[in-house]
Amino acid sequence: MTSPTHPIAKARELLTRRHFFGRSGMGIGAAALNSLLADDLFATPLGSPGAAAGASGPPHFEPKAKRVIYLCQAGGPAQMDLFDYKPGLKKMFDVDFPDSVRQGQRLTTMTSGQDRFPVVPSIFEFRRHGECGAWVSELLPHTAGVVDRLCLIKSMHTEAINHDPAITLMQTGFERSGRPSLGAWLSYGLGSGNRDLPTFVVMTSNSKSGSQPLYKRLWGSGFLPTRHQGVRFRGVGDPVLHLSNPPGMDSATRRHILDDVARLNELKQAEFGDPEIATRIAQYELAFRMQTSVPELADLSDEPEHIFRLYGEDARERGTYASHCLMARRLVERGVRFVQLFHRGWDQHQDLPKDLAGQCKSTDRATAALILDLEQRGMLDDTLIVWGGEFGRTIYCQGDLTKENYGRDHHPRCFTMWLAGAGVAGGLSYGETDDFSYNIAKDPVHVHDLNATILHLLGIDHLRLTFKFQGRDHRLTDVHGNVLKPLLA
Amino acid sequence: MRKRSRNICPWARIRDSARPPVACFVILSVLLSPLVIASAAQDSKVDFQRQIRPLLSDACFQCHGPDPKVRMAGLRLDLREDLFQARTSGAPVVPGDPDNSLIIQRISHEDANLRMPPAYSQKTLSDDQIDLVRRWISDGAVWQQHWAFTRPRRPDLPEVKDNSWPRQDLDHFVLSRLESQGLAPSPPAEKSRILRRVTFDLTGLPPTLDELNAFLSDPSPAAYDKAVDRLLASPRYGERMAAVWLDLARYADTDGYQDDEPRIMWRWRDWVVDSLNQNLSFDQFTIQQLAGDLLPDPNPEQKLATGFLRNNRVNGEGGSIADEFRVEYAVDRVNTVSTAWMGLTVGCARCHDHKYDPISQTEFYRLFAFFNKISEPGTYRRSAAPTIKVPPRVVQRQLDRIHRELQVLDRDTPAYTELETRHRRLWEQVPATMIMREDEARETFVLGRGQYDQPGAKVTPGVPEILPPLPPGGSADRLLLARWLVDPSHPLTARVAANRLWQTHFGSGLVPTPEDFGVQGEPPTHPLLLDWLASELIRLKWDVKAFQRMIVTSATYLESSKLTPALLEKDPANLLLARGPRLRLPAEMIRDQALAVSGLLVGSVGGPSVKPYQPAGIWDEIAGGSTGAYKKGYEQGTGARLYRRSLYSFWRRTIHPPGMEVFDAPSREVCTSRRERTNTPLQALTLMNDVTYVEAARALAQRLIREGGPTDEDRVEFGFRLVTSRRPEPAEIEVLRRGLERHRSAYENDPAAAAKLVKVGESALGPEMDPVELAAHTALANGLLNLDETINRE
Repeated sequence: MTSPTHPIAKARELLTRRHFFGRSGMGIGAAALNSLLADDLFATPLGSPGAAAGASGPPHFEPKAKRVIYLCQAGGPAQMDLFDYKPGLKKMFDVDFPDSVRQGQRLTTMTSGQDRFPVVPSIFEFRRHGECGAWVSELLPHTAGVVDRLCLIKSMHTEAINHDPAITLMQTGFERSGRPSLGAWLSYGLGSGNRDLPTFVVMTSNSKSGSQPLYKRLWGSGFLPTRHQGVRFRGVGDPVLHLSNPPGMDSATRRHILDDVARLNELKQAEFGDPEIATRIAQYELAFRMQTSVPELADLSDEPEHIFRLYGEDARERGTYASHCLMARRLVERGVRFVQLFHRGWDQHQDLPKDLAGQCKSTDRATAALILDLEQRGMLDDTLIVWGGEFGRTIYCQGDLTKENYGRDHHPRCFTMWLAGAGVAGGLSYGETDDFSYNIAKDPVHVHDLNATILHLLGIDHLRLTFKFQGRDHRLTDVHGNVLKPLLA
Repeated sequence: MRKRSRNICPWARIRDSARPPVACFVILSVLLSPLVIASAAQDSKVDFQRQIRPLLSDACFQCHGPDPKVRMAGLRLDLREDLFQARTSGAPVVPGDPDNSLIIQRISHEDANLRMPPAYSQKTLSDDQIDLVRRWISDGAVWQQHWAFTRPRRPDLPEVKDNSWPRQDLDHFVLSRLESQGLAPSPPAEKSRILRRVTFDLTGLPPTLDELNAFLSDPSPAAYDKAVDRLLASPRYGERMAAVWLDLARYADTDGYQDDEPRIMWRWRDWVVDSLNQNLSFDQFTIQQLAGDLLPDPNPEQKLATGFLRNNRVNGEGGSIADEFRVEYAVDRVNTVSTAWMGLTVGCARCHDHKYDPISQTEFYRLFAFFNKISEPGTYRRSAAPTIKVPPRVVQRQLDRIHRELQVLDRDTPAYTELETRHRRLWEQVPATMIMREDEARETFVLGRGQYDQPGAKVTPGVPEILPPLPPGGSADRLLLARWLVDPSHPLTARVAANRLWQTHFGSGLVPTPEDFGVQGEPPTHPLLLDWLASELIRLKWDVKAFQRMIVTSATYLESSKLTPALLEKDPANLLLARGPRLRLPAEMIRDQALAVSGLLVGSVGGPSVKPYQPAGIWDEIAGGSTGAYKKGYEQGTGARLYRRSLYSFWRRTIHPPGMEVFDAPSREVCTSRRERTNTPLQALTLMNDVTYVEAARALAQRLIREGGPTDEDRVEFGFRLVTSRRPEPAEIEVLRRGLERHRSAYENDPAAAAKLVKVGESALGPEMDPVELAAHTALANGLLNLDETINRE
């Protein structure tokens, strides 16, 4: 059995296609033929045959980024314990949080019943790092090491104060379900960058018990055609669902079955002339190719030792955040346009000092490694990396406050995210919060602004990437969003 | 209605058709350009409804439409008065005089800064579009209210040249349109294909070989009508039609937010199946689901029906604010009812007046007020009061029997106590289903930007002004709203329902955007037919089965779905219906068919949702550890629970079944009125390797060996017929027969592999089966289940 990437197999496949299209006396529509022969069976880009009529396809201008790796830290990382250093609060331990700062901000019902709201400064040490001299917490030593490549946004804000609406807003531009995710918009707008793999790949890493859940809508296609939804690469079992042949069926038998199916489908096509049949034939070929290409992609054993030293030993273990960072690099190397990692467990309502430290330990090294690895391969220049969660946390304590222990509630008014790589100003710290890391003091950045900027870096005008649904031209940024020019390199 | 059905066997025409289809396509390719199909012919008058309003709406209404807050220059172009009214600089439209019409001046202005629509709007008008507006004004600028807001009038049947073709009145509309384009309809599909088509359409399952044989061997003209009657009477009908309704009703077995914990609403789902099977008329179906609790002296089933309005997601996430989410639930109910019954995007008016349709924000909250008087808590998980226990019929019979026995027993005897305990236990097992109740005097306010904490003016329940007023009498409650919806004067309900039923059978509605009948929606491809169907649905007293019988016995429905290059070129989307639709089966039908043809299907109706095969770990990877409710992950069922119809699969909204998702089933987080039909490599992998389909292949293989006949050829033909409902051609038999031989020799050389393959799945293995033979047939059957024709109905 020749592998599908083998030259003979390729020639054979081409022959099959040519034979099929040439022989078929019926012929099929020119549009259908084009869409078939385009190496793009997962996602048809805008402006190509089969895409929504009338839409002018991106890129709207020269893109800086060809691909994105989005490291979603679900749960709401505490900005003041990681990046948003507030040395002035050291002396305010257990002091009542001033109403003048709170300014009527609504509370979740987890803390709205508390008698008092004592300020709790971060228990962690901060130091300046890199040439840019940004303050980074001791919890993130590796991230601190690459801080000159990061563009820190300390003035992120959102409306939602519960996980579900907040992360749904972050990923789909709307608090309620039903809208397409960022990756689905990119798939719709830009199409695929490769022949054998999905356009949009999602990985959810193993997480500790008690972590808030995720939902498929975060990588779903909403009202866009479902082929634009993220394909989840899994940490257990087949990397892609149903990739393996059943027990007792080898690749040769599979090939025989598919050959027969293809022949019968061709006969059907000749009789019925439905271009969907031709597409089906091609999709089965792609499925067969994926049976080889995906396991090869997911097999990390060909990575040299120094790569595991870079990402950490846990990158050897399937399902870890570190292994997914390494997988992300392998995916973008093979032309996947958008890779999104979800890592849960950043919801430190209690036991923050211990819990947050553990959370950072399992992610910090691999996150920094991904940046360095892409850099050494010359790919950081056209790969955008996004890091962050769905909201921030309160400066006041949730639950019991002691010298060693505290918790923090959800906080929508400010939080920190960072961008790195393609087209982004490294070493920049953008936006400022007040002395309590509670309100934004300068340069607020809304979720929509961030998404507009991500699209901009990919050569997409967020105002022009639209899809008509329920009578309206919908966009990722709804009716909002401004591109953050100061963040651009 | 059936008396109208011409009892002429449609297939009799195939042989003696004087005009081979090829000939008509030659004519077609000369006469037709795609433009002719897409719009009215060039020399005819410009159609305001189809050509002008959609254009104005899309390009202008955003700033010159119903929403006063963003209206520019105080100019409105969506209303007749404003459009023709003279302003200081002239009138936007001067009938007959395009050069003096302001809109022509502005949309064709030489100065880009003054040209409308402005660049920042991201909208443009092409020269052709500008010319169209110009011609409309030259022609006299006839203005009409948006078609969907006016009551449908029953049109006369159009004249047709070929009077022998129509089998139903509706065919006149289709044929006259085809004839006007110089087209002829396709010949009828072969009998085997049409039985497969109608059996899937009405029951969601393929015909059995017995059904097929009976139909093929019945030469009487009434054979088809008889088959249709049989299918409409089948209990499978309700299950099939329920699948459509559950998407609209956003039905699921979980609460839908954050932890997405299990809830029990299957009693409501069974009410739907039951009501459809009993052919509850659509007006009653409507009234009971929206207001069964408010009917005079409602019975438990009628109260149960209102579970429709409790299917929305509810948020029990720690820290969420009750008032915020109570608002979300009522909003969801308004949106769902508006989409499902009226095809209106009312939800746009939650935060501001609608940009395109004449629906104000105040009117949104007047609708909201109908759903705002229930005492449910704002934040909860799973279920919350008000609920009702309605025992399934079999349980009710047991309860009644015990009750009768108790009547005659002495209260102090052990027998009485024992029976009473049984009664109690049985009752305890009846799930409490969430329903509606009008039990809270909560006032409704317009909410600034749609936010729960920004109440503005107080409003009372009411309906948008553009639609007819509420019927007189009674208080403005959900019952009145439901009666208003099904009042024959309502311009939308019957059209939306008829369109949905058309979509069910033709794959696409006459209005291709069932979720939007407003000015931004797609106009109907056959406006007169849509109105005729709507009036017919009302004339039939909302008898849905009679309506579907009419559709599936029409000549239009019976057309062959074969494409020719000419037709594909001229009318790729089949807007003119010159051929039947060839459609990939919906997710449920693909799985149900595999279970049915393999003999694995367990056909029991109703009951708690079941958990069929699902790859291990999926729930844990995405949401594991978040809540005790799923501590054990996905607890896959055993035995019969693995083989129920897909309608009964446990639906976890945030992680809906991957085998359904891959074939475009929506998550059911929100009301969904149509599904995509995509074609992806992940679908191929599922059909190739998912245990569901591999086991079905193995069970099908067992059938081939047992029932298929002695020779390979017999078995191949038997299997092919099971999955496609037709006999294979010799070339097809040859491909499969040689495939089987090859599989046999491969497994003879590797009996260990054969032993593994035949163990896939939990169903029992026939003791007499030779593993090598079974494995070879399994590989053959795996191919059969992967054929394009298998997963299509054509």
